[in-house]
Amino acid sequence: MGETLFLKRKVSEDYSHYDFPILKKVIKMRREDVIAEIKASGLKGRGGAGFPTGLKWELALKEPGDEKYIICNADEGEPGTFKDRFLLENTPLQVMEGIIIAGYAIGANKGYIYIRGEYAKAINIFQDAINHAKEEKLIGDSILDSDFSFDLQLVKGGGAYVCGDETSLINSIEGNRGISRITPPYPIQNGLYGKPSVVNNVETLTAAAEILAQGGKTYANLGTDKSKGTKLVCLSGDVKEPGVYEVEFGAMTLREIIDEFGKGTTGELKFVIPGGVSTAILTDDQLDIPYTYEDIANVGSGLGSGAVVVVSEGHDLLELLQNVSRFFMDETCGTCFPCREGNRRVYHLLKEAVNKGGFTSDDMKLIKDIGKTIYLAARCGLGQTSMCFIGSVLEKYTDELLARR
Amino acid sequence: MNDGRMMEKLHNIQTTYGYIPENEIEKLADEYAMSKTKVYGVISFYSMFHTEPTGKYLIRICNSLSCHLNRSDDVVTGVQEYLGVESGETTEDKKYTLEIVECLGHCGEGPVMMVNDKIYTHVSKAAALKILKECM
Repeated sequence: MGETLFLKRKVSEDYSHYDFPILKKVIKMRREDVIAEIKASGLKGRGGAGFPTGLKWELALKEPGDEKYIICNADEGEPGTFKDRFLLENTPLQVMEGIIIAGYAIGANKGYIYIRGEYAKAINIFQDAINHAKEEKLIGDSILDSDFSFDLQLVKGGGAYVCGDETSLINSIEGNRGISRITPPYPIQNGLYGKPSVVNNVETLTAAAEILAQGGKTYANLGTDKSKGTKLVCLSGDVKEPGVYEVEFGAMTLREIIDEFGKGTTGELKFVIPGGVSTAILTDDQLDIPYTYEDIANVGSGLGSGAVVVVSEGHDLLELLQNVSRFFMDETCGTCFPCREGNRRVYHLLKEAVNKGGFTSDDMKLIKDIGKTIYLAARCGLGQTSMCFIGSVLEKYTDELLARR
Repeated sequence: MNDGRMMEKLHNIQTTYGYIPENEIEKLADEYAMSKTKVYGVISFYSMFHTEPTGKYLIRICNSLSCHLNRSDDVVTGVQEYLGVESGETTEDKKYTLEIVECLGHCGEGPVMMVNDKIYTHVSKAAALKILKECM
């Protein structure tokens, strides 16, 4: 079983003369038909939340008003995730084509791409691509002899993981602190500058462009009933050949992805994080499941951003817990205090446990309790999922952690 | 005025001066009709912005999970010992500022280190020290 090349199909192609063939076709279609094609493909948001893309576009198109925005979320920050950087660096014009197509479909004349500030190379490549597109009049007034005008602006992030949340990202573009907003209203009704806005992930928009090239049905024929198409999987951690691999949903199990693409683990496998540090771990006995949204959800975790992090024996569990805990303590925006104070408290409990040489069942109870509170009280995805990894490790390795004393 | 260019302006100011000085904060406050406090609040939210001068070389070392699994701790302690500073501090000669940061998005190539805008992958402790010594 090799990679199913859908998104990665054009990676090796020379992009210097790419003139948006898919956009040329799309711009002659009715907006409703473009959206119908995306709906038929079954594409879901690939940033982690998994909202159906076609439905999002349809809702945005139906919103009243002339001023709408399309925003490409390239604030990739989930530890273990590097697929969007891969696309931005290797297929920038196809990412851009996806943005313009989405803008056309929802009736937005202005788009933004928000790239995390640390992605210096991707930022340079994409800014060059924007300049190139402007020179070639592929962006600007009445593009490709149509009556559709489109402007695209790159915004460089400032190093805040929480800006990957769509409402935080909108606040950041507006020049504010990147804290989340209370939803509803969702950005579709009340987004950037209070106008209807669609925020889509880089992989989602790239897939959307390719779907319109090959047809929604072609895409829907890939994958399973509930997980259509392909997904870029970022394989890292204790594997022999880490990297970005394209997988058809349901065609491979998690273990096959690790063994065939990753060429196996570097040590004896302990557990796998299937979707980045915001998802619960899966143990060795849970890996023989097809790689789909539904199968991973069935075993109590999530596909998340597609970051598969493999952890082998030989690491100190408490250190790993502390590492992930520190990440959320550093990256919480601080608006919802259970997330701000809870993640800080958990970090210090873990640190104390390291200092005193182990864990007590009271520590464990307290951490689980804080985790539940954060989950219930946080208003954005960061807080709600911040304790998934830690909670699942405590649950699955209770004896091992308690035995340290 | 809201033109979606605040982040860009902050980045540009920092590129020019190496940090965001107070008089530039005042100018931004005037331009955007915001209080200085609010502009400062925006700046302080983002870890990449500095309101104090940093060293000539900004050294970032990723210590998130995938890099950690590939022994980034060795690189972190090695660099800390060599420079004699902790995360967030600048060496006395103003040459290096060290930041231990979260994920830099090169998780398949860890440990990862950045010197200003340049990424170095598969960095060992020895390789990191060599890179630092080559900063002129």
